[in-house]
Amino acid sequence: MASLPKRIIKETERLVTDPVPGITAEPHDDNLRYFKVTIEGPAGSPYEDGLFNLELYLPDDYPMEAPKVRFLTKIYHPNIDRLGRICLDILKTNWSPALQIRTVLLSVQALLASPNPNDPLANDVAEDWIKNEQGAKAKAKEWTALYAKK
Amino acid sequence: MENQISDASDFTHSRIPKLSQLDTLLRCHICKDFLKVPVLTPCGHTFCSLCIREYISVQAKCPLCLTELRESMLRSEFLVSEIVESYKVVRDDLLDILKQRKESPESDPDSSIIEVGSDPEDSLIVNDNQSDDTSDDIKILQSGKPISLKRIYTDITSSSLRTAPRSKYFKTNIPMKRSSTASRIDSILKKPVELVPCPICEKYFPVKELERTHLDECLTLQSLDNKLTPLTKTAEKDEVVSKGSTVIPPNKSLLSRSLWRMKPREEEGEKEEKVSFVDKYINSTTDIEHQRLPKLDFPSMTITQIKQKLSNLGLSTTGTKQNMMARYNYYEILWNSNFCDSLNPVNVSELKRQLLNWEASRKVHNGTNLSTSIGNLMTLRGTHKQNDYKKLLDNFKTDKFNRKEWCILFRKQFRRLIKDAKKGQTSRTLNADHIQEFDIEEQLTDPDLSNDLFDKLDKTPQNPQNP
Repeated sequence: MASLPKRIIKETERLVTDPVPGITAEPHDDNLRYFKVTIEGPAGSPYEDGLFNLELYLPDDYPMEAPKVRFLTKIYHPNIDRLGRICLDILKTNWSPALQIRTVLLSVQALLASPNPNDPLANDVAEDWIKNEQGAKAKAKEWTALYAKK
Repeated sequence: MENQISDASDFTHSRIPKLSQLDTLLRCHICKDFLKVPVLTPCGHTFCSLCIREYISVQAKCPLCLTELRESMLRSEFLVSEIVESYKVVRDDLLDILKQRKESPESDPDSSIIEVGSDPEDSLIVNDNQSDDTSDDIKILQSGKPISLKRIYTDITSSSLRTAPRSKYFKTNIPMKRSSTASRIDSILKKPVELVPCPICEKYFPVKELERTHLDECLTLQSLDNKLTPLTKTAEKDEVVSKGSTVIPPNKSLLSRSLWRMKPREEEGEKEEKVSFVDKYINSTTDIEHQRLPKLDFPSMTITQIKQKLSNLGLSTTGTKQNMMARYNYYEILWNSNFCDSLNPVNVSELKRQLLNWEASRKVHNGTNLSTSIGNLMTLRGTHKQNDYKKLLDNFKTDKFNRKEWCILFRKQFRRLIKDAKKGQTSRTLNADHIQEFDIEEQLTDPDLSNDLFDKLDKTPQNPQNP
């Protein structure tokens, strides 16, 4: 296996020794660029009390290129589609090498706390969200209980 | 390689946790390591020259504030460069000392009655003022002049301990003074000692020390003092000491041990570094012999022209057009970073070695990616299939890659994966290979086949959005 850049080793170390509250990220034994991630649903959001599994992959060109992050747990969210892909600017056009795994995961957590139905990825969910926010939130809560049990 | 990884958090459990901020500030936000050949952007941010040049070739904006940025806007920062270099030299020692002091139990300064000296005329009697609630106020009694230990102690620590790392930047004669203080402390603390004044500086010292070391030091110091202006702190300390007191640090063994330990290192490195960091900064100039390498407009160039350009620079002309372009681009970054930004540029052959290393690491990287991960994923039976696969794999990352054949070749495997994916939807834990699979699926942009694949993916049974 090609040697891992120092930066990745360092970030991994820091993630393990000084984890972000409510977020865990562990590299896979066979591939240190692949992380198994869990994020707790933020308090006060419909995702509260849920534990969401994600996968994170650092491409060869990281940090020049953004990490690839995807939800593995089903989630009812206007910016996350049913394949788990996330619509988040810092993962696409606004990526900067000054960001890191830690900040990316925090942003994902923040996205759970404040969905943005005006820039949707899952169109049907976003529509539902705009037309009937209460109903959509109830559904998100229901899905959380159903798929993201702790 | 492992032990070279340092982090700002190293300081969080030391005596001065706030140093982690300094440590962070001296690092590049791209590689997270200490700034190497730092350059300044017009928006006021600093990165390693190589890091930022590499990033600009991908995305022309500042990683921190996202404002537009071009390579020509970068300016080298010699001062920051030398600050980082001189910090790196002392970092380990600094950390060592700061951790050591933290681990030691806090000693209580006013827990002792120390009698210094036996001759009533010359001696200093240090008495513990136990009734005093202001705690560390040991009175040092000599001809009715009480001196607070607290003050002496802070003076000692601030002038000797704290200036230890700084003295590397501000070249002064401090180490000499400190070492004399250290030995003084050390010898005084062992037992009550007889103190006699030094004929040169008129301060009090134990006889033995005065004879053995202090006289020599004092003489050298005096000659140095005539040439250099001493730091004000040193002067303050002298004042206190010359009032006729001895110095009792609260934590004698540790303090003296750490001072002793650093003394030889400091002194031997002092002169050399003085020359290297400060003078290097003052005498810094950019290399004018070497011209900046220009960006090439590859789309308008023929292969022969590109080869011509590369061989003019003495670079290899092997590989595809893509390879040659990548080679030139990286060499241009190396070259410009080295000759335009660096304070001590390396020669051209070293640059070429770096380029070869870079190409080799890329090859290894791509090699593992393709032949092992994909190979493991797509276990093939039958030699002729294996050959087809290898032929296709050769062009995997180029335009010539035949997606259709690839899909036909792996149809079975893809079907199996889709089946597995459907099965495992509810309770799956993906491993490293799965994400590779995901990547491969995304690469199948051939309309006929990949649509087919994604349609199948979409018809997952438990999908409530697609009832």
